[in-house]
Amino acid sequence: MKCVILAAGEGKRMHPLTYTRPKVMLPIANKPLLERNLINAKSAGLKEFIFIVNYKSEMVRNHFEDGKKWNVKIQYLNQGEPKGTAHAIGTAEKFVDNFIVLCGDTIFGSSDIKNIMQKQPSIGLVKVENPQEYGIVQTNSQKVVMIHEKTPEPFTDIINAGIYHFNKQIFNNIKKTQKSPRGEYEITDSINMLAEKTKIQAINLKQWRDVVYPWHLLDANEEILQNIKKHQTNATIEKNTTIKGNVKIGKNTQILSGTYIQGPVIIGENCKIGPNCYIRPNTTIGSNCHIGNACEIKNSIIMNNTNIPHQNYVGDSIIGENTNLGAGAKIANLRFDKKNIKATINGNKIDTKRKKLGAIIGDNTQIGINAMLNNGSIIGNNVYVGPGSLTSGEIQPNSKIF
Amino acid sequence: MCGIIGYTGYRKAPDVLIDALKKLEYRGYDSAGISVLDKTIKTYKEIGEITNLEQNLPKIKGNIGIGHTRWATHGEVNKQNAHPHTSTNKKISLIHNGIIENYQTLKENLQEKGYKFTSDTDSEVLAHLVEDEYQGNLENAVTTALKKIKGSYAVLAMSEDEPEKIVGARKESPLVVGLGDNENFLASDIPALLKYTNRVLYLDDGELCVINKNQTTIYNQNQKEIKKQPTIIDWDIKDAEKSGFPHFMLKEIHDQPETINQVLRGRISEINRTITFNEAVEKTLQNQIQSINIIACGTSYYAGLIGKYLIEQLSGLPVTVELASEYRFFGTRNEQSLVIAVTQSGETADTLAALKEAKNSGSPTLVITNVIGSTATRIADSYILTQSGPEIGVAATKTFTSQIIVLLLLALKTGLIKDKIGSDEIYKYILHLKELPRQIREVLARNQDIFEIAQTLKNAQSVFFIGRGINYPISLEGALKLKEISYIHAEGFAAGELKHGPFALLTKDTPVIAAITRDATYDKIIANIGEVKARGPKVIAISDDQDTEIEKYADYTLRYPTNPKELSFSLITIILQLLAYHVADLRGCSIDKPRNLAKSVTVE
Amino acid sequence: MKAVILAAGEGKRLRPFTETMPKVMLPVANKPVLHHILEAVKQTPIQEVILVVGYKKEVIMEYFKDYKNLKITYVEQDKQLGTAHALLQAKKHIKQPFIVLAGDNIIDQKSINNLIKEKSDYAILIKEHLQPSKYGVAIIEKNQLKEIIEKPEQKLGKYISTGIYKLPKTIFNTIQQTTEQGDYKLTTTIQTLIDQGTKITTIKADTWMDIVYPWDLIHVNEIMIQQTKTQTSGTIEKGVTIKGSVHIGKDTKIYSGCYIVGPTIIGEGCEIGPNTCIFPSTTIGDNTVIQPFTEIKNSIIMKDNHIGSNSYLSHSIIGRGTILRNNFSSVSGKTKIQIENELKKLDHIGSMIGEDCTIGSNTVIEPGIIIGRKCKINPLNRIQNNIQSDTRVM
Repeated sequence: MKCVILAAGEGKRMHPLTYTRPKVMLPIANKPLLERNLINAKSAGLKEFIFIVNYKSEMVRNHFEDGKKWNVKIQYLNQGEPKGTAHAIGTAEKFVDNFIVLCGDTIFGSSDIKNIMQKQPSIGLVKVENPQEYGIVQTNSQKVVMIHEKTPEPFTDIINAGIYHFNKQIFNNIKKTQKSPRGEYEITDSINMLAEKTKIQAINLKQWRDVVYPWHLLDANEEILQNIKKHQTNATIEKNTTIKGNVKIGKNTQILSGTYIQGPVIIGENCKIGPNCYIRPNTTIGSNCHIGNACEIKNSIIMNNTNIPHQNYVGDSIIGENTNLGAGAKIANLRFDKKNIKATINGNKIDTKRKKLGAIIGDNTQIGINAMLNNGSIIGNNVYVGPGSLTSGEIQPNSKIF
Repeated sequence: MCGIIGYTGYRKAPDVLIDALKKLEYRGYDSAGISVLDKTIKTYKEIGEITNLEQNLPKIKGNIGIGHTRWATHGEVNKQNAHPHTSTNKKISLIHNGIIENYQTLKENLQEKGYKFTSDTDSEVLAHLVEDEYQGNLENAVTTALKKIKGSYAVLAMSEDEPEKIVGARKESPLVVGLGDNENFLASDIPALLKYTNRVLYLDDGELCVINKNQTTIYNQNQKEIKKQPTIIDWDIKDAEKSGFPHFMLKEIHDQPETINQVLRGRISEINRTITFNEAVEKTLQNQIQSINIIACGTSYYAGLIGKYLIEQLSGLPVTVELASEYRFFGTRNEQSLVIAVTQSGETADTLAALKEAKNSGSPTLVITNVIGSTATRIADSYILTQSGPEIGVAATKTFTSQIIVLLLLALKTGLIKDKIGSDEIYKYILHLKELPRQIREVLARNQDIFEIAQTLKNAQSVFFIGRGINYPISLEGALKLKEISYIHAEGFAAGELKHGPFALLTKDTPVIAAITRDATYDKIIANIGEVKARGPKVIAISDDQDTEIEKYADYTLRYPTNPKELSFSLITIILQLLAYHVADLRGCSIDKPRNLAKSVTVE
Repeated sequence: MKAVILAAGEGKRLRPFTETMPKVMLPVANKPVLHHILEAVKQTPIQEVILVVGYKKEVIMEYFKDYKNLKITYVEQDKQLGTAHALLQAKKHIKQPFIVLAGDNIIDQKSINNLIKEKSDYAILIKEHLQPSKYGVAIIEKNQLKEIIEKPEQKLGKYISTGIYKLPKTIFNTIQQTTEQGDYKLTTTIQTLIDQGTKITTIKADTWMDIVYPWDLIHVNEIMIQQTKTQTSGTIEKGVTIKGSVHIGKDTKIYSGCYIVGPTIIGEGCEIGPNTCIFPSTTIGDNTVIQPFTEIKNSIIMKDNHIGSNSYLSHSIIGRGTILRNNFSSVSGKTKIQIENELKKLDHIGSMIGEDCTIGSNTVIEPGIIIGRKCKINPLNRIQNNIQSDTRVM
């Protein structure tokens, strides 16, 4: 049985992080989202995968190649123009019989995947706190009646989780599916068509995590970090460093004297950490990073090749690749009135529902010395934030702020 | 020039090939043909446009095939001369883009051996040569065959005995690999592929590629397998529309107010009085440059001549302008000589060859082009994009004006670097450039006047264009436009040169068009007009609104807004574009696809 | 379901701005009116739009050539004879019930959706209006349309016809009949149907705005600009204050000391400042330079403009490619404008200046003045009367 994973989307609501990578390649605890799904699906017993790709597919292909590294077989299909989920799944027709479909940007647990594999056709459902953001599902004794569109007043808090088990019948429904009001061919419409004639099993999931906006990555990061184990064998750790709790450090990384690390924390390979820096819980640092003297990092995700080199504070933030913070640059992560922080993504102001949120910074950006980034600021790629400046709000890629 | 496409995968090959050929039609459209392999090779060819081939194609099956649209270099336009060519045993089908210089000798040898030729083309030789060398492995046969020929090529070959593969090879003619999923492509350029995939591998000269539906393998010139990194094409090829205009050329002429803005965007600052290019260009310009060589072909060569006037005037640097096809025989080259190649498509074979020579001799190189990702941009140290959108009309219009504005910006920049001009001068030019779109709109609004003058030219046998100073290359370009699309013989001259020979050609039936700017050249060109009129022809002058003198000398005058004088040359050019357009239209010529011409000439 | 959008008209009353573009392409909040309408249509189940074009169709076709959100099919109306005649041009593309809209009236997507959901064959959107006598007043009886009376002299009702209908494909037969009798107005066709007993349901529209005269653009701009999303691009120097929803396009430079209050839109490639003030409900088009110490509010500045230092503009419209030299003054105020035998009273209006003008320094323009295209005005002039296109004022 093959597993089709939808990995073609850009994930516009993840801007600026998705200008240079597809959503499924966003890292959670130093592994791309898609890889986490791959590992969980493999644990459930799936060995053959088809990745439906498109946006920046090269990154996916280069990272996963033919799947040998994970002992699985991976085939790629390019979706071409993004025409919707039904269209994406439809491209796999010639290559599958009974098959599982996963949305690559949602994290599923392996026991849930195993359950779905038992019955076909079936779809995964999950209970959430904010059903108004999703398509809700009407069921009747564990059989799907209909998947309803997103509505501000949902009649249930059970939503469509984005995992399916189909047989070849679904392709007939896909061929007959019309464009939805938002101009796409949606698999939910195909499923509704199928539900009229066939019994589709509804299976409740125990584990499910969706990431929509950049700060959701911090939640996912935190969740995964709860389960890591200590591992520091291939790193160089000097004297007079304190490492508490579960801290994983990659090979060839140096931890210099005076560094204080409180786990759970993951640090990648070839990093130089310290001297005299403070890394607090729920922080993930990528590879080839330099965290220098007098820096404090907390509850943040720092991607590869990025430098936080002198006297910086980074809290509740995400920093992309190849980005530099100048000496003394700091990020504010709390409002004075302690209310929820609002952030602007693509011009839309959103309540993040977090009391603490620092900055979301893209790739190849230079933050000048003593620059100040206000809470909830969203800084694009290739941006130049001048020395000593105060920046708030959303800054588009390729801008200069002085 | 010729467009080629090869496909192997799960789709129906005839559909993919025809679709791709339509996108390649601008490269050459005398005739077209496809070969599809399904147990046996079936080949279909037609003269004329792709739609001819499409309509006459029977329903054929097959998931692997090659296709070609032809721009004749050897042999007339007829079905036999169209590609693909089949070998004598009919088991090999082959397409060739390029020129085989020693084909005659090879043909005679093969005929002696018993091979039967059906066409007059040089390309057919390759098909039989491959059959001759074939011993069960197509890529080996192709490699050996190619060693025997002298010339340039982009080749695609298929063999009935190996029904899964297509072999492609490149030398001085473009060829790219399109990477698909369960399918792969080979094409002369990217527009053919973009519908199916945006992941390409650029082949370099001497390389050979074997594709089947799941794999692509590339060999270097020593037959060693090499790995290449795919390039992702982010560029959205939008199907260019005529947007309500009767011809692409007319639409592109009307695009010019906006394309000027696009050339200037992000490069000029009125408040800071600066001209800034991208990092690579800035770095190239910081070299200790003592002279500049501009290399180009056709209309771009005339843009280069304008660049010479502008750069010499504003920076004092000596500039030579050379036809790319001649550069390799002459041309100054050293490390203090900046070589600027001007090529709209970035694929012009002559210009690419010259650019490579320049690079090899250590000169810093810069390309001015309209096509991102083109071969020229990958050879030169740096490039400036004219950002004018696709130009579909074969005769260049908006890309020419964009090129001369880029050259003006370069002239100003080098002038600043060499301390020949100050920021005040830059400021003055920036204000002029910002006003230019408005002045162009004004010129375009005077369309009716230009149309009326076109009426007087439509039956002329010969038209002469004269100008002085920077208006001399403007006249050369004006003449080129007229002959390209209306097929009337036209020639441009420096106004002062007429008396040294060409006067002999003047009669009352040879109209003369004079490009005039009221600067230091004015008095002399008025005198030249007097000399011309004395010999019979009607004179059509192009001068500014406030020139009252000219009416005493010219029979007709077309006008352009008086200021800014420094940019009048661009306004005159647009008048000449419209003039050529109307004359061609009145004569019923095929404006967007003139006879015998191709948009991008990739043979030497 | 398809929509037919009538976009063939010139809009003579909107001169000089319509001398170079059809009225549906006039910009508010930095986008042509027609673009706003298509964006509203995009959010309904309608997937294809039949655009009836005519006057200066190239401007429309060029602008929308890359528009991907809806399928656009163009049909041409060779002679601008009237609304019914325009609609008739779309006949061969319509095989089912459809919506017809005017390309120059702003309408919101909810109203269109309500119209689509309506079950009756014939339906019309009506709008409650403060000055119904300027339009076709809709006389309603039991939620059905009884009559449309154009510009009635007495007060007859508070609802007007928006000209937006849901119609069955049989409408074309009726149009054929009425146009044969020489009347090309759609309202006449509708009236004929009512007289024959056809029931036309009325549905109230939410947002509907008409653009008839140049000053209407200012008001519509103010309303549409509320939807502006903040975007910060380009280069922002130190000491710049930006408040509220301000959209700054890419490659634009905002120099020190500028004070920009939203909702405001600044296009791409502009240079603003130093020390320039841009106040709310202002739209500035691409490639525009606004020099130091200038104040602009509630205005529409189109592309490629050049506004000199120490200038003041309020409630004004500046067409593309115009050069205003320093100390230009276009104050807004109350005025009465004589138009079509009527004296219109306007409360807040500055000046409206056409394309490609050059206006010398220290020029003052009185409220309500309309200046045509390609005019040249010498310095130190006080303009108190309208100026025709191509005029020179010494």
